[in-house]
Amino acid sequence: MIAVQDIHVTFGRGTPLEKHALRGIDLTIPEGQFVTVIGSNGAGKSTFLGALAGDVLAERGRIAIDDTDVTRWDTPRRAGLVARVFQDPMAGSCAALTIEENMALAAARGRRRGLALALGGDRRRGFQERIAALGLGLETRLQDRMGLLSGGQRQAVSLLMAALAGSKILLLDEHTAALDPATADFVLDLTRRIVRENRLTTLMVIHSMRQALDYGDRTLMLHEGRIVLDVAGEERAGLDVPHLLALFARQRGGAEISDDSLLIG
Amino acid sequence: MSEIALFGAVEIGLVYALVAVGVFLSFRVLDFPDLTVDGSFPLGAAVCAVLLIAGVNPWLASLAAALAGAAAGLVTALLNVRFKILHLLASILTMIALFSVNLRVMGRPNVALLMQDTVLTPFYGLGIPDHIVRPLVVLVIVAAVVALLARFLASEFGLAMRATGVNARMARAQGIDTDAHVYAGIALSNALCGLAGALFAQTNGFADVTTGIGTIVVGLAAVIVGETVLPARGLALMLVGCVAGSILYRLAVQFALSADAIGLQASDLNLVTALLVAVALILPRLKAKAGVRKTGGSAAR
Repeated sequence: MIAVQDIHVTFGRGTPLEKHALRGIDLTIPEGQFVTVIGSNGAGKSTFLGALAGDVLAERGRIAIDDTDVTRWDTPRRAGLVARVFQDPMAGSCAALTIEENMALAAARGRRRGLALALGGDRRRGFQERIAALGLGLETRLQDRMGLLSGGQRQAVSLLMAALAGSKILLLDEHTAALDPATADFVLDLTRRIVRENRLTTLMVIHSMRQALDYGDRTLMLHEGRIVLDVAGEERAGLDVPHLLALFARQRGGAEISDDSLLIG
Repeated sequence: MSEIALFGAVEIGLVYALVAVGVFLSFRVLDFPDLTVDGSFPLGAAVCAVLLIAGVNPWLASLAAALAGAAAGLVTALLNVRFKILHLLASILTMIALFSVNLRVMGRPNVALLMQDTVLTPFYGLGIPDHIVRPLVVLVIVAAVVALLARFLASEFGLAMRATGVNARMARAQGIDTDAHVYAGIALSNALCGLAGALFAQTNGFADVTTGIGTIVVGLAAVIVGETVLPARGLALMLVGCVAGSILYRLAVQFALSADAIGLQASDLNLVTALLVAVALILPRLKAKAGVRKTGGSAAR
């Protein structure tokens, strides 16, 4: 469970470039819920995910994960509770390390790393079974460098890595944005499968409104650092992209939508 | 080149192999260009020499030299991690400071080890010529260090250190305290250089504040030569490459200096070193270019 109370984040405070990126977000996400997050550029989506992961510390407010107050925890400390997949396929894994080494790094998330062999015992076989389940034929390539994989393969392995250490929260920051449409669909379906199998509480930032409504069970819209729309259940089921666009336009004070990316169904 | 000169080159190459492995750790594994080694190498020599004269067991003196090197590394890491000073500059500051520290440790610019027992002493009376015993003993020590280091880098802690150097953001997202791994890695790197300094003092019979000058270039040369002659992917082999590179580099220098026809003398050492490193750096690039030409440019990126 994630409980967020009135968090604020300001970048470059006291400078001409000061930006109040989050202006009071209140949100409770029950265990196992899959939430999609939309909003235009600069709405605060990535900052919000960063605030949950610990990359940016909230200057005000409180963040609790499973009833533990983590507001002041840094990223490595929160990593035992929170797993992430980044937008850039290069960011979420080590290109110079092998696939199995990347998996070993993820498997040790949230516990002490000692002097035991990272790939000792039957760990390698466990990784092999996991990666075979992806159906990408990567099980024979465990000793290849991560950098040799395509963007889609890297995101698929990153998703697998996110579920390895048994953390209960998954943060996805436009993890399909850098992929071609077919690969993006594959990764999204894989996301759904992994979230379901591991019963992960998930926040997924996504550009496409269509996919925001198709995946998960709740949708948030962020605008200028606030949550301006929060729909779930039947209300959400009845929503269509044009509705969402109209709602969005109203939030912007009726201004015309100029951001092409928002029109991509 | 005489037999004694040949074994001498191998011996000094093996001593500097520990520097090479340390430089590999900072430059390649952690992606942290660390020049502290120019100070931690003579620091190790100084600490070891002073302790030997004080009658300390040579193995303990060598261990103390490694610990002194580690402390120097921690200072550099502290300046960089805690106080955000650029890594290169942080290491230069430590290096400069260590010159004075080394003078303080020894109380004078150099210390001779004439009658003191060293780690080599027990092996001198075995009937093998001294100039062969020395590289053999150093070889055993280097082999042990390389084996331990390879095992360390394959551990969970070592793997986290490698991730810290490759992709710090990812490492942090995987719960790795990247700062702690920088401290540990730079300390370990300089501990190896301190140990190399201790072995240098014991094999050569002296410690001198000026022996540190250019240590980083020699270490880097060994790493690069190793990568050129042994382009390996596995970590253990990369470490072996560092050792091989260090020996080859010394042999090349020895050859260049002893070939009378070229007309070089001992004082040309630094010039030869710089040229060798430059050639080792340029060669892979030329090779890559030639490869591109052969495949019709399809491999170009």
